Amino acid sequence: MIKIERVSVTYPGGVEALRNVDIEIDEGEFVVIVGLSGAGKSTLLRVLNGLVPATSGSILVDGTEVVNANSQTLRQVRSKTGMIFQTFNLVNRTTVLNNVLMGRLASVPSWRSTLGLWPSEDKEAAMLALERVGIIDKTYVRASNLSGGQQQRVGIARALAQEPSLMLADEPVAALDPVTSRQVMGDLQKINRELGITTLVNLHFLDLAKEYGKRLIGLRDGVLVYDGDIGDVTDETFREIYGRAITSEDLHAMNEEPQQSIGNGK
Amino acid sequence: MNDYTSTSKRPVKPKPRARSFFIALVLLALTFWAAIKVSFDISTFWEVWTNPIWSMFWPIPWDWVFTKENTFDPLIETLQIAITSTLVGCLLALPISFAMSSLTTPNKVIYFISKTVMNLVRAVPDLFWAKLLVTAIGIGAFAGAWSLTIFSLAVMVKLFSETVDAADPRPLEAARSSGARHLPAVKAGVLPTVFPSYVAYSLYIFELNIRASVVLGLVGAGGVGRVIETQRQFFRFDRILGMLVIIFGIVWVIEQISVSLRKRLV
Amino acid sequence: METLSDTSTLAKRPPAPKTIHRWFIAIPFLVAIVWSLIGLNITLSRLLDAPGDAWSILRQMVPPAFGEVYERGAVGKIFESVYIAWIGTIIGAFVSLPLAFLAAHNVAPIWIRSPIRQLFNAIRAVPELILAVILIPVTGLGAWAGTIAIGLHSIGTLGKWACESIEDIDEGPVEATRACGGKWVSGMRWGVLPQVMPVISSYWLFRFEINVRASAVLGMIGAGGVGSELVSQLSFRNFPAASAVLIMTMAVVLTIDTISAAVRRRIIKGAVTTDEDSRTLAAITDLTGIRS
Repeated sequence: MIKIERVSVTYPGGVEALRNVDIEIDEGEFVVIVGLSGAGKSTLLRVLNGLVPATSGSILVDGTEVVNANSQTLRQVRSKTGMIFQTFNLVNRTTVLNNVLMGRLASVPSWRSTLGLWPSEDKEAAMLALERVGIIDKTYVRASNLSGGQQQRVGIARALAQEPSLMLADEPVAALDPVTSRQVMGDLQKINRELGITTLVNLHFLDLAKEYGKRLIGLRDGVLVYDGDIGDVTDETFREIYGRAITSEDLHAMNEEPQQSIGNGK
Repeated sequence: MNDYTSTSKRPVKPKPRARSFFIALVLLALTFWAAIKVSFDISTFWEVWTNPIWSMFWPIPWDWVFTKENTFDPLIETLQIAITSTLVGCLLALPISFAMSSLTTPNKVIYFISKTVMNLVRAVPDLFWAKLLVTAIGIGAFAGAWSLTIFSLAVMVKLFSETVDAADPRPLEAARSSGARHLPAVKAGVLPTVFPSYVAYSLYIFELNIRASVVLGLVGAGGVGRVIETQRQFFRFDRILGMLVIIFGIVWVIEQISVSLRKRLV
Repeated sequence: METLSDTSTLAKRPPAPKTIHRWFIAIPFLVAIVWSLIGLNITLSRLLDAPGDAWSILRQMVPPAFGEVYERGAVGKIFESVYIAWIGTIIGAFVSLPLAFLAAHNVAPIWIRSPIRQLFNAIRAVPELILAVILIPVTGLGAWAGTIAIGLHSIGTLGKWACESIEDIDEGPVEATRACGGKWVSGMRWGVLPQVMPVISSYWLFRFEINVRASAVLGMIGAGGVGSELVSQLSFRNFPAASAVLIMTMAVVLTIDTISAAVRRRIIKGAVTTDEDSRTLAAITDLTGIRS
């Protein structure tokens, strides 16, 4: 479903975020990507839907070439790709429903969405997505009045409303407490299993990865250092990804402040 | 221990740079030169109080001032000019501000053109526009309305484009990542956040326009200013003072309403 | 809390909120707009005519008659406007600063600061042009009337802005001076002043930019500067000359704006901590993934 071939990304400032990465992902897989801040996890996700342009290489998403694609192709790819963000990226001032409807922007004509005249089937799709994540009762509530976990669910609903074939989650739980994190990870897992949507999740901590992931990809300094089953992860793997030995603190990483990861580079 | 004898090498106090000294000197010289050129006359500050002209301001002929023809009709005309020009100017300013902001501009060409045009428009003193338009269109409220429209446009674009520049870019990223085209993405992702500021600025500009129309009249562009200018030519400062009292009373009332409305918005 | 396939306890959809109250706000606005349009006699034909008149004048304005205008001393007049703005801003700045201190609620008691704030508001409410109209009979025509008009009005605006900056400060340094035994004046000099001077001096420069435009306008009623030149050219319908005056004025205004903006940026950059910058940095980092 996704074929990444020898992809490199160098940002205008000279930072090499990804170096010659090769990855193949089948439809319906649930993949967890781990690595330090700045390792390239965020770049890897964003290069799949063209938010960040790849400097070289080839990326096929569901058969469509994304590298150097024109804006219309990119929009088509993006409409089928749902993205979930660490900081939720909701429009705080407006209702939950309007936020979820943003997922339908690609499938309605521009004039309709600009004037707010959504067709009933799109409103229905948004409502269904809200029912799926279990916050339908908050439909008309202002987004800023929700808790962090609820806001992330709105983000998930927005992605679901797109009826996507691919789901990209960029550190979806980094800003949430451990209990809520598990709920959100559980939701993502259920979406993957019940709807068969290919899911890629960036995570900081190995413990969540071990609990919810099946396939693990480790990045370090833009280079792919591990790609395999999560059960096969050893201390050696850990050292390769994080550059040092694993400690007991890493396994019980829920004691760390999630705030540390906000605003850092990836 | 009270041993305060210094043992470490003391740093040398940094000398003020010769360049700053030079700049200060030049500025001072320029100031003196300018003061001479404007015929700086310090005696004015105490002579002004004893000038016989103040007697021309008093007493205020309220019977003349409180008539429909002299004050209230022009005031209504001023209000109408203010409403119209605020409306048109602010409406036009909305797309231009988005075009001028690096966050929401659709492409570099539009960005560059709109920024340049607006810089040029703002470089012209507002009353110059008024005088030009009066010469072109003729004396009267119509020219006044056009002048204030340009004025409203300039002020709104300055204020609003700065607000848009400072807006949270993340919901816009979310909208783009769902495959939306540029305009719907901006409408869904940026507009809800900045709209309250837009309305607040519009109210503020409405106030400015009412005050400005007083001044506009001095170049013949209608409203109360026209009456004031006529009276000025007859040196009837007492009437002018009476009108100003009423006008600024009304401005004050509108200001109070506007301030309370604006507080509820932001 | 429900998660995905837990449809056994399907929650009811909440009812859509009523939008009728929107009309209560919209209708008065619409009425006011229609009333204004009718009152001003804005018919479609007049609307379509206006650009036509403007366009014919625009055509007459090209090419601009720079030579003719130069001979008449327009350049000197433009500089006169700049001088008027410069001195006027200086008067406004120096008078407003001590007054602003006395108007701040963390500095002065209410019986001092209230009259001063009212004074600021009163002066601000009177446009420079009206001030000049009143002053001309007193000082006579010419640059000095314009300078005082601008100076006085600037006292109002600069005073208000400075007062707000003073009230916005961090009280820590003031407390510190008091803690080591300093007098009230020392608290102002060492605690307040260093914090507010960057913002206030950038306000001064900003006001100077605005005042340059204001002084150009004041010329139109004879208070000195390039405005008188524009008025006379327009009254003779000498459009090439008028456009030359316009373009030269624009050039000077733009130059002053650019220099002033650069200086203001430098002043603010040198003073502020990284708060503003780091928030922007965080947003950029989030968007692009670059850590810089």
